[in-house]
Amino acid sequence: MLFFSFFKTLVDHEVTIELKNDLSIRGTLKSVDQFLNIKLDEIQVVDEVKYPHLSAVKNVFIRGSVVRYVHLPANAVDTTLLEDATRREAAAQANKAK
Amino acid sequence: MSFFGFNTTLPRDRTAHAPHPRQAPGFSQQRDAFAGLSGNSNEKADDDGYDFEDTYDGLGDELDEGDDEFNDETFGGGNAAAPGKDFDFFGSTAKVANAINEEQLLYARGPKKPTQPAPPSYHQDHQPKAPSHAAATKPKPQPAPKHQVPTEIPELKPEMSLWATTSPEATPAKNLSAHAAVHYLHIENQLQDPPPAQPNFSQPAPATRKYKSLEEVEAEILAKKQAKLAAAQQPPQPQLPPPTQLNQQDGWPGRPVQGFPQHPQMQMQQQPLQQIELPFPPRGMPPPQQNQRPPQTDRTSEHPQRGPIPQPGPGGQLPFPQIPTNPQFQNNNIPFPMGMIPPQGPQGPQGPQPPFVGMPPIQPQIMQMTEEERVKFLEEESKRLKRNHKIAQLSRYNGLMTPSDKNFITRIQLQQLVSVNEDSFNEDFYYQVYMAIRARNNPQQPLDQFAQTYLGQQGARGGRARRQDNHLLRMQQQVQRAVAAAKARPKASQLVLEGSLGKISFSNVKTPKPLLSIKKQDSTGAVEPGQKPAHAFAGIDRRSILAAAEDIYRCLLDLDSHERKHPGPSLTGQQPDANTIQWFEARDALIAKLWRSLRIMEPFKDDPTALHPFIAILSVKKAKEAIPRVFRYIDLQQRITILTMITISLDQVDVIKDGRYAPDTLSLSNETKKKIEVFSQNVLPPLLSYVGDAGLDVITGLLGILIDRVNVLLLSQTQVGLAFLTMFTSRAEIIKQAGQADDQAVLKWTQTYDRLFEILEDHLLDIFPPHGAQVDDMYVWQFLASMAVVANMSQQQKMVSVVKDRVNENVQASKTLPQEMGQHKLANTNLFLRALGLDIDLLLS
Repeated sequence: MLFFSFFKTLVDHEVTIELKNDLSIRGTLKSVDQFLNIKLDEIQVVDEVKYPHLSAVKNVFIRGSVVRYVHLPANAVDTTLLEDATRREAAAQANKAK
Repeated sequence: MSFFGFNTTLPRDRTAHAPHPRQAPGFSQQRDAFAGLSGNSNEKADDDGYDFEDTYDGLGDELDEGDDEFNDETFGGGNAAAPGKDFDFFGSTAKVANAINEEQLLYARGPKKPTQPAPPSYHQDHQPKAPSHAAATKPKPQPAPKHQVPTEIPELKPEMSLWATTSPEATPAKNLSAHAAVHYLHIENQLQDPPPAQPNFSQPAPATRKYKSLEEVEAEILAKKQAKLAAAQQPPQPQLPPPTQLNQQDGWPGRPVQGFPQHPQMQMQQQPLQQIELPFPPRGMPPPQQNQRPPQTDRTSEHPQRGPIPQPGPGGQLPFPQIPTNPQFQNNNIPFPMGMIPPQGPQGPQGPQPPFVGMPPIQPQIMQMTEEERVKFLEEESKRLKRNHKIAQLSRYNGLMTPSDKNFITRIQLQQLVSVNEDSFNEDFYYQVYMAIRARNNPQQPLDQFAQTYLGQQGARGGRARRQDNHLLRMQQQVQRAVAAAKARPKASQLVLEGSLGKISFSNVKTPKPLLSIKKQDSTGAVEPGQKPAHAFAGIDRRSILAAAEDIYRCLLDLDSHERKHPGPSLTGQQPDANTIQWFEARDALIAKLWRSLRIMEPFKDDPTALHPFIAILSVKKAKEAIPRVFRYIDLQQRITILTMITISLDQVDVIKDGRYAPDTLSLSNETKKKIEVFSQNVLPPLLSYVGDAGLDVITGLLGILIDRVNVLLLSQTQVGLAFLTMFTSRAEIIKQAGQADDQAVLKWTQTYDRLFEILEDHLLDIFPPHGAQVDDMYVWQFLASMAVVANMSQQQKMVSVVKDRVNENVQASKTLPQEMGQHKLANTNLFLRALGLDIDLLLS
């Protein structure tokens, strides 16, 4: 749930989602769920010339499994905290594995 | 026969073919119950052949005669508001068409009662109506199809009104099932002379029809009721405007109502029949009214009949596993829209109402009830119908989800809830803390220690929760309990089938399938005293260093989360309660564990080249970053220990070891630069803050150790080393000037300083970074300034003579450099000059 928790803090930030079909969509993150499905608002396709059919699309719902990368706004990430959260996650996993 | 292939034989003809086919049109079609009452003289000839006693199905016997108390509430009684002229009976009835149609269908399928001689009971309504009232209730024009709630296709039936216009004399009979037709025709005999004048009877739409419209009948009924109620002096009751009561008017509770002769039943409707079945309460659960109404048993006894009935629904779906049994439906009061208030009021036409003496042979049970009973009965009946209607509406989408679907959704929801409350800091740690920090940062609360915000959680949460909605809390508790119960069940994560070669491991969202299951030892436990002594850490390879650093963090996180559970200040303030004591004990244990994880107390190795474990751990970035957090928990003594440890081993600390400029290089490696930066940002400030509080003897002692054990020359050529020296000298000077130290301590300090100066005096130029190195040499000037402040006159002179060239150089360079950089260089240099009591301006001028 770490990533879910993490992405929740990015709501209302602008992110760029790179899909596995090489489509990159930039937009405001509106919501994310535990499957890391993503809702974007006010989207813009990065390579708009290549995908003209998407120029009229204003918002999208992206299934989590098709996401390759999410480009984050660096200033919205608390790395120290993220490290701690990662440690907690790892500890929890280790406990479960036992 | 007919164009559509329907059986168009008249019901009276059909009676010849003895058992009426159950599925044939007629039993369930929309019948015009009142068609026969219109006094069509054409019919009279046919009437003679029927006897009421032969045809009456005896249902009237089963009526509940009681419960009439709320009749006026149901039908509008007493002195309520005057009826308007905008009644919309059809529209409102259409909304419950579902329920009505169900009733009808149910009846159509139910076994017919054997006709038996019984007192005819249910036609008191079919009274000649008051003309004025008929005028008041203007019948709606023909059915507005939009009112139609598509429900079911009971059977395909011809639209009766089609025939009604063309062959008026056939209509009534055709509209009725054979049985009912006979029945009604018989009644017609008894009502042979309706009042001659019915001037307003046929209003716009039904003008071509010869029988009464529903609206007219309704109006008639209402008028009658009102007359009766007025006589009974009933107190006015709150108005319940239920359109569903229409079918009770004839006192036959389970009977379908022919409310809508106009219904375009021909239209194809999609809904399968099964769905119509659902609205009824389940068999095992008779409606609650049943207890009070013995006659109802007849109705409920019909329920079991529904099962085996062949389902003609086109979908042919499977029967639903369970019928909705939500008890809350039982109490549902469906508010009806305002426009449906039945006509009533004192000025309603009550005048020439012929009393019930008009039908003495008919002894309806409902008539035998007292007024109260009847009201009550009808009210209950209306409630039931409302409920049915509501259930029907709600059950429209029944069965879309299978039970396992529902389970799945429930589990997801539970997971969500649980992640929000129970383990919020484990499952949702980042989000929770991030939000806390942000909330904390907003109201201008400068907290330099970000982690302190973790700790504020508890108070903030408690306060909010108390004010927040109670039920949410309660639900969370319930969920917690549910989750705890689920957890209590042992959950196997692996399944080993007998005879199989491998294991099958399960996975879910939270715990993905482990590809490898490796039992991991608790390495923190290894540090427990007595268990595995120092040589557990024998190899100072990078891996074990990193693992050790992680141990520190694990302890820190444990402490953090423990801190969050702080019971809060005790209310009395004097006697900490058991909780608090326990908490502090646990905290101390955790701190001790943290202290052990630092490995700072482990003895030095015999081998002088070997790093002390603590210093080794300190070489990794994350360990450096952990130091400020560690300092928050450890006490003063432990801080001194850390400071001493670092001081003693200063030449082994990586930032010092690698911090010297190699003879012919102008800059340090990037890695080292980063390390120095991290060290200066994370390790130095807590040390500095501690030194800032330390006494002169501590400083003297530390500096003495430094001079004794560490190569100060080497130290002085590094940024961090100089920072340490600066730290000590400046602090000592501050103490000295503040007069906080006695003479002996000062004397001791001066001796120590002299030793330091002796070592450094000939190498002062070496402390500068190499010429041309593009680095900020402020730390050098800071050090020189701190030295100069402490130094005596001769020492200062020596310093000036050594550094003089460098000062001049800087002054010259500042003139050629860009304004900003030049100013910076000058300011740095000035730090030193000021310490000597000079100023750069003297040199510049």
